[in-house]
Amino acid sequence: MSVLSADARREFEIHRYPALIYALVPVLAVVLQAWLPRMLGRFAWFDLPLVITVFFALSRRNPIQGSILGGVLGIFQDALTGHPIGINGIAKTLVGYLAATIGILVNVENHAVRLFLTFVLSLVGSVTYYFVVRFLLGMSMDTNWMAELYKAVGNSVIALVLFPVLDRTKIRD
Amino acid sequence: MESFAVRYRNLLVLLVLLVAQILGLAMQVRRANSGQGDGQEVRLIRLWANGIVSPPEKMLHNTGSGVSWIWNNYFYLRHVREQNADLQKTIDRLRLEQAALLEDAKQGQRLQTLLDFQQKYIYKTLPAEVIGTSGTEQSRVFTINKGKKDGIDRDMAVITPDGIVGKVRDVFGHTAQVLAINDQSSGAGVIMESTRIRGVLRGNAQGRPEIVDVISDQRIKPGDRVLTAGGDQIFPRGLPVGIVEKVVNDPERDGFVDVILKASAHLDQLDEVLVITATEPQFSQEQKQDIATSEALKGAEAEKQKTSEGMAEKLPGLIDPNLPPDQQPLNDTSNPNPVTRPPVAIHPDRFTPVNAAPPAGAAQDGGQAAPKKPATPKSGESNPAPQGDKQ
Repeated sequence: MSVLSADARREFEIHRYPALIYALVPVLAVVLQAWLPRMLGRFAWFDLPLVITVFFALSRRNPIQGSILGGVLGIFQDALTGHPIGINGIAKTLVGYLAATIGILVNVENHAVRLFLTFVLSLVGSVTYYFVVRFLLGMSMDTNWMAELYKAVGNSVIALVLFPVLDRTKIRD
Repeated sequence: MESFAVRYRNLLVLLVLLVAQILGLAMQVRRANSGQGDGQEVRLIRLWANGIVSPPEKMLHNTGSGVSWIWNNYFYLRHVREQNADLQKTIDRLRLEQAALLEDAKQGQRLQTLLDFQQKYIYKTLPAEVIGTSGTEQSRVFTINKGKKDGIDRDMAVITPDGIVGKVRDVFGHTAQVLAINDQSSGAGVIMESTRIRGVLRGNAQGRPEIVDVISDQRIKPGDRVLTAGGDQIFPRGLPVGIVEKVVNDPERDGFVDVILKASAHLDQLDEVLVITATEPQFSQEQKQDIATSEALKGAEAEKQKTSEGMAEKLPGLIDPNLPPDQQPLNDTSNPNPVTRPPVAIHPDRFTPVNAAPPAGAAQDGGQAAPKKPATPKSGESNPAPQGDKQ
């Protein structure tokens, strides 16, 4: 195993899921992301579409698929806000790409690695969002970095619980 | 070239995706800066996203509401009958009060029209339930379960009985998106109740509403009430917005402060809201009937007063100048309700009836000179000169 190249390793360790999972889980993530904050108020420190983007990107190990999935989920999120469409799209496109690229290089079956990756990628998403808003669009929008930090922690905790559950749905050869 | 494209395929796809989205953003910002709203494509994406997210949200919301409804209406019914009776009495009382107030409001508005005032009143609201949010901290937008088919339109004000909440941003068939007042892109004209300082309300990064670009003023104190100013053409004037929580210096401009508020409405826990659908008089049939009843009652009262005044003019007085003194109504013994006679005066003066004799010993009692008996006034004479003045 250790002598395999990155491409060979990717081909070997690609996880496949039923089409229903690909269709249902992202939609459910967007729906819950819109619905749960109503219950939790200001304590909704999570970003389910980002967690799902990271999961599928890490599992599929395909940067193109990861980028497209992240972009689509981000655009859907933007469509539910009053902001221009594409802010979340750009952030999650980048997150999906990075997750899939890292997934080729490291062993993502390890829970600690997943936890750390989700935390870091959440912060990358927040920084990208801030960059797009402030520097590309020139909008006068402040960011509560403490809330972003809490969100990264929340995403990591959710990933720790959710990834093993979703792993059970993968198609075994 | 082919090998380059194959080798950097992933990176190229990423760049294409990023550039496409950046171009899309640039076009949206350009449209927004030129005063146009969302383009057709953007609106379509919002419509699709709403179409996918809203039905499950509604389902989740209705499931929760259904469970709550079953519990409240079938299991938890203690004291409901007594409450119902009390509420019915309150409704009857309030309906009469409301009719009177509506009438006053109509009159007030007529007067204000004469004075060219641009005041708006809340005449019609539509209750709606919050079914979802934007899902991000950066956007304080929520979805309600009423849309275009329920009469909701863009830029309508959304309130609760506690205070203002936001304005309708996007309207779909059966749902609508509301931009809350604590969003950073929101804006509402407000006025501080005690100091009458005006400002623009918007949200900050922490999701708190604040009044921005206010010139530093020592009179602004925590606890001051803030109301809508009515100049933004969205919120009617005088609605509660919140109370001043603290005043902080504007980090970007010297001499200016940001006034951070505690919102009157519970913006973090919104379940039901009211959308102001009309600020022009649109009375329901029942309200019109109540107003008519109230006006009829007021008319009857005025008519009654007028009639009593007319009758008072026509009724005979106590002294009829055309009758001799012994036949005056005052001396009429046939009257079943005779008029009480005034007591006999000890010291007659000009007000004493002319035929009233002073008591026999009145002059001697005090040892003082009794006033002369006034001469009987001739017919047609009036206001005889006071005797005492001549003495």
